[in-house]
Amino acid sequence: MSKENKKWFSLNLGSGKSSQKCGCGNEKGSCSSENKPQEHKDGFQQVFDVQMSRRTAFKKLTASLMIGAGAVSTSCSMFSGDESKEKAQIDWEEQFKGNYKLMSDEEKEATVNRLVRSYELRTGKTISMSSTNANENVLFGYAFNISKCQGYMDCVNACVEENNQDRSTQMQYIRIHEMEDGKGFNFNEADDNYYHEVPAAGHFYMGTQCFHCDNPPCVDVCPVQATWREEDGLVVIDYDWCVGCRYCMAACPYDGRRFNWKTPEVPEEEINKNQHYLGNRLRKKGVMEKCTFCVQRSRAGKNPACVEACPTGARIFGNLLDPESEIRWVLENKKVFRLKEDLGTEPKFWYFMD
Amino acid sequence: MSNNNIYISKSSFWLISVILIISFSCKHEKDEYHTITDKIEAESKKYHHDSIMGLENHLEGLKMIEISEGGHTFLIPERKSAITSYSCLECHSTSLKELKSEGTKKAHWDIQLAHANENTMNCATCHNGNDMNQLQSLTGNQIDFNNSYLLCSQCHSKQFEDWKGGAHGKRINSWTPPRASMSCVNCHNPHQPHFESRWPSRYNTEKVKERQ
Repeated sequence: MSKENKKWFSLNLGSGKSSQKCGCGNEKGSCSSENKPQEHKDGFQQVFDVQMSRRTAFKKLTASLMIGAGAVSTSCSMFSGDESKEKAQIDWEEQFKGNYKLMSDEEKEATVNRLVRSYELRTGKTISMSSTNANENVLFGYAFNISKCQGYMDCVNACVEENNQDRSTQMQYIRIHEMEDGKGFNFNEADDNYYHEVPAAGHFYMGTQCFHCDNPPCVDVCPVQATWREEDGLVVIDYDWCVGCRYCMAACPYDGRRFNWKTPEVPEEEINKNQHYLGNRLRKKGVMEKCTFCVQRSRAGKNPACVEACPTGARIFGNLLDPESEIRWVLENKKVFRLKEDLGTEPKFWYFMD
Repeated sequence: MSNNNIYISKSSFWLISVILIISFSCKHEKDEYHTITDKIEAESKKYHHDSIMGLENHLEGLKMIEISEGGHTFLIPERKSAITSYSCLECHSTSLKELKSEGTKKAHWDIQLAHANENTMNCATCHNGNDMNQLQSLTGNQIDFNNSYLLCSQCHSKQFEDWKGGAHGKRINSWTPPRASMSCVNCHNPHQPHFESRWPSRYNTEKVKERQ
């Protein structure tokens, strides 16, 4: 992506970028559209804002009808193989299934079975996918010890592998911010992509990810209710219901959400086959994803991958409703704080120091 | 007369709307809790261990021992079976002088003590010269290798408090009860307890490109 046709507006926070440009991309002159050298069509304009005669319009319409008819005929045909029929049947049912949030347990199981079968038909490999619901009397919470984290990033590694994150764009849910001692939590000047021996002298490390707010702004803004808070406090996404508008990404005050700009790629041998519908199952292009506290692990009683991978014990995970859990001891006995508490988002992710 | 009627209907309209606003404004859509702390406090009253006992046991096959310290009862990994050269008495039945003599097989040559300074600690601060199968406290009381945390807690009392509560150290495998935590020596080498500095385990090259 060259600088000239940058598609986004970035705040200049003094992070070393010297280009003094206006958001419109012009270095000189006014920002009005007359001065723009070439207009770049973006988003829906690429589809709707095209010159089209009545003839081409009919042509395109016929073509799409033919594709639809093709799908129906494959599923009804006497000649095509049983497998392709089954595939067409699965695709059809998946296409018209409802929102996961509204599904009954049977429907959840049915869609999970379809997805497993579909994967088997396409690749010949078997995966296991669960649709486990939230456990009763569980509210997940997380605590992060700033004095313990050494910045090794083993958590990031484990997270990528556990959650089948796109390798080609190197998507990562967790960010570890290297901050200078004595400057407070200055995220603008923090480095979240360092590569040198750690811990660096005069610095401390702080991890961020989805905080699973109890009052999540991302859920409020979703126009299709593809993201919601579950009973155990996890904020989850139905990847099949998400339309990719990225409102939630904009609404999140913590940079917790990630978008699939392209089809995620995970080498077959690296795919984690222990999956959950709301968790690490393979995503597609144009949908949001984020940390789910490893729903496929946490709902089975295991610790999230980041907690298990951390060699320093800086990450503490547990049930907030269990008065004897470690997370509760930390909240009651250590000096804890959360980020941007004044927003009223009630994140369930606390920071503390020794 | 008609004016009066209008006045009454107007005022009753305001009265009704004020009542409506009061009755609905304080309630959230789903929750009646003001903060997450309130919610935790209220909902944990219903909590009982049995309700989440149905989850599978993730400690199967691990050798653990139960300890009880300061009101906290939990499991820690059994230590003695993890020490390769235990029992120590297999060699330490003869005198140190004899073991150090020429011709005998060297042992512990790789142990370098980097724990406090020479004035504070040496081998005998923790190891019991009279019974090498046991550790010893500062006052000479015997401490079992399985309970070596008792040795550490003599100086690191603050860390000990945090460890008992669960703020220091790491849970093993699972967040569900029963609690199983790493003991001091599972993360810290007692002879060199500090964490080594090293390179991060990954570097995001795409992020670098995006930010150019």
